[in-house]
Amino acid sequence: MRRFLPILMLMLALAACGGESADPSDIPELPVGTAAGIQAILADSTQPVVINVWASWCIPCRSEAPLLERAAAATTGVRFIGLNVQDEQEGARGFIAEFFPDAPIEHYIDESGDIPVALGGTRGVPMTFFYAPGGELVALHAGVIDERTLALQLDEIRSR
Amino acid sequence: MAMVPVYLVLYWEARRGNAASCTRDLWDIALSAAATGLLVGRLGAMVAGGVNPITHPADILIVRGGVATGPAVMAALATVAWLGRSQLWVIADGLSAAALAGLAGWHSGCLVRGTCLGTPSDLPWAVAQNGSAITRHPVEIYTAIALIAGAGVIAGLRFRGRLAPGVATGSALAYAAAIRLATEPLRPSLGPGPIGWYAVGVAVGAALVVWAIRRSVARPVAEPGA
Repeated sequence: MRRFLPILMLMLALAACGGESADPSDIPELPVGTAAGIQAILADSTQPVVINVWASWCIPCRSEAPLLERAAAATTGVRFIGLNVQDEQEGARGFIAEFFPDAPIEHYIDESGDIPVALGGTRGVPMTFFYAPGGELVALHAGVIDERTLALQLDEIRSR
Repeated sequence: MAMVPVYLVLYWEARRGNAASCTRDLWDIALSAAATGLLVGRLGAMVAGGVNPITHPADILIVRGGVATGPAVMAALATVAWLGRSQLWVIADGLSAAALAGLAGWHSGCLVRGTCLGTPSDLPWAVAQNGSAITRHPVEIYTAIALIAGAGVIAGLRFRGRLAPGVATGSALAYAAAIRLATEPLRPSLGPGPIGWYAVGVAVGAALVVWAIRRSVARPVAEPGA
């Protein structure tokens, strides 16, 4: 039994390390997004825009969420949009409460998952689009994004 | 891409520098250290990001979500120290060049992931992303080249038997940390990055080299056959 004590203590320590979540009921319902609406936002934007496509059931999305939250909080002059796809309001609000309660990210819901396809992507999640001001697509990253790639593409869209 | 250079360097050294019976041990320890470092580094990144590893165990497998450098290196070194405790400096020195080569392989993985580029540069060898006019430092390639050169120098000195026990280990640690410290300003980043960890690595590696040299002067290693 004593052999397993360090493992038990490690697991207890890890269990205590989870971040504090907001109450999902405090998160307002997500507005329903449309392809035309998102394209209008992009065309009218005088700032670079990052669109991150996510779903509450997607494990890799959970993995990259802390990085996106940190990037949105630390980056000025870039508009961050979260596009929740193939999901329901309840799950989406729970995810936002857990990862993005205070992050400066506008979230939309797209239950059909058609918007990323209309923007030139696929139905896969997660996916991140990087746009220069005026809506020019600079980069499309499919899959989990790492800090280096995110920082590089943010630098790229801010330099245009 | 990290473990292939480790294997190649160990295989190469097996015929020249390592004790005849220890190359297989070195490979086993290298694999164990890499796996432990990856696991602890991933757990560290998850905890730092506010994700509970107990309630979300599947997230541990998404290594691309981030690996905390400091905890990963400490866990890898602790694994080497524990598994090689019976002949610590033979094992640690035997792994030093291979570890630098492995790190070079890890950095050259950017060629597969498309993440080699750093801050903007006008140098003739600077590279632009597809569709971009902004040329950038291929910073991960700089790092990989510097690390592989360091691996070659340390392996060469070991072959000539010119290093006291512990010097190769300290030199490799200090060199790897110094290369990361020197190239960090060339990487686009969302924050200062783990610069403090790299500075600690340089200091610990340099202290180890000084300690090993002083120890060997005070207690010279016996010549083979003496």
